[in-house]
Amino acid sequence: MSADPSDRSSPAVTARIVRRELHSSRAVPSVMTAIVLVVAHLVLLFEAVLRAVGDRPFLVDLEATAAWIGALPAGVPPTLLGTGALLLVVLGVLLLLLAVLPGRRARYTIPNPRAAVVVDAEVVASSLARRARVAAGVAPEQVLVTVGRSSVTVQIRPTSGVPVDADAVRAAVADDLRRSSVEPAPRISVVVAESGVIGQ
Amino acid sequence: MNTTPRALNRLLLAVVGLLALSVGAAGLALVALPRAAAWWAASAPRVGEAIDDVRSGTTLEGQSDSWLWIVLAAVLLLIIVLLILWIATQGRGRTGLFAGADGRGHGTFRRAAPRDAARGDGDTAGTVTITAAAAEQVLKAALLERSDLASASVSTWLVGGVPGLRVRVLPRKGVPPYVIAEEVSRLIEALDLVTGYRSPVLISITTGARVRFTRGERVD
Repeated sequence: MSADPSDRSSPAVTARIVRRELHSSRAVPSVMTAIVLVVAHLVLLFEAVLRAVGDRPFLVDLEATAAWIGALPAGVPPTLLGTGALLLVVLGVLLLLLAVLPGRRARYTIPNPRAAVVVDAEVVASSLARRARVAAGVAPEQVLVTVGRSSVTVQIRPTSGVPVDADAVRAAVADDLRRSSVEPAPRISVVVAESGVIGQ
Repeated sequence: MNTTPRALNRLLLAVVGLLALSVGAAGLALVALPRAAAWWAASAPRVGEAIDDVRSGTTLEGQSDSWLWIVLAAVLLLIIVLLILWIATQGRGRTGLFAGADGRGHGTFRRAAPRDAARGDGDTAGTVTITAAAAEQVLKAALLERSDLASASVSTWLVGGVPGLRVRVLPRKGVPPYVIAEEVSRLIEALDLVTGYRSPVLISITTGARVRFTRGERVD
């Protein structure tokens, strides 16, 4: 035995967990697609069994449907057929995009020697907002932090007559980001509103 | 941390998407291109004849219709079963056993020796199992003592065949996530010492309605 069997974790396992947590699993569209397909196939199955035992069709007459498809585009108003076909194309493109796009979630990872750590962007934003508010000396309602994939925007409405030191806010936010060392390091922009608010 | 088959999900979504796309594109072509409509008007009767030939060829003596209907029903049933299996594989992987004797590599407690050697060296016979609930409750009790967390939950999942812990913590508004990560991982290390296993761990720092509608921590 090369490794202690009680040591079941490894950096590779941790990296895999992080990768899976940062991307969508596509479980919800998969289940929805599967349910729709199951219903459609159940109807077809029912009709096929009815034909096999020689009964009359229940919901869909398969032979009439086949004849209808063979006679297309006659038998249907062109606008209806066009709209239906367009909807199918849109649905197909949506499913293809779900399959191909990476599906990144609004989460970050914090490097940790022991565990895989993932943080929602909202938690990062709330932590940054507190640091920015303390650095600017304003009330919580006067700070709005938006955290994107590669950028952080801090919007501050100063209290009237009390100037806000944007550089101090930027330094505080940068310090918080550096401590959590989220990857990749986002770009910081601090926006101080022209007009202040009164009575905060 | 679950064992949702992500590659399969994407593959099947792509297949269904391509099918829908091609049927839709064919419909659009029938509407928009007179040449496509003419081609379909010419070839559809031939397809129909071919299908009729197959049906009459597979109709047994004294039967009114083809036995292919039964084959079609069986195929449809198989597809339905496979689709239901696809749904059933989503989000699986939770386990009730944190550590214990299940005959595999992590079977015996704190012991690297092969089984036949262990029998020979006078060990006390027996095994120790730690249920997932034990590890989860120990960790959860330690997490709920903290005032900077609004809520916490711990669950055990199989990660690559071994049980791993998923720790979900909801910090109050404004609590720095790196502090939470550091202190939770310290708790995990304490749990490692107590149980004797160094399991895969995911610390998921998230937010929820419970955090949004409560006050943030008062101490700055």
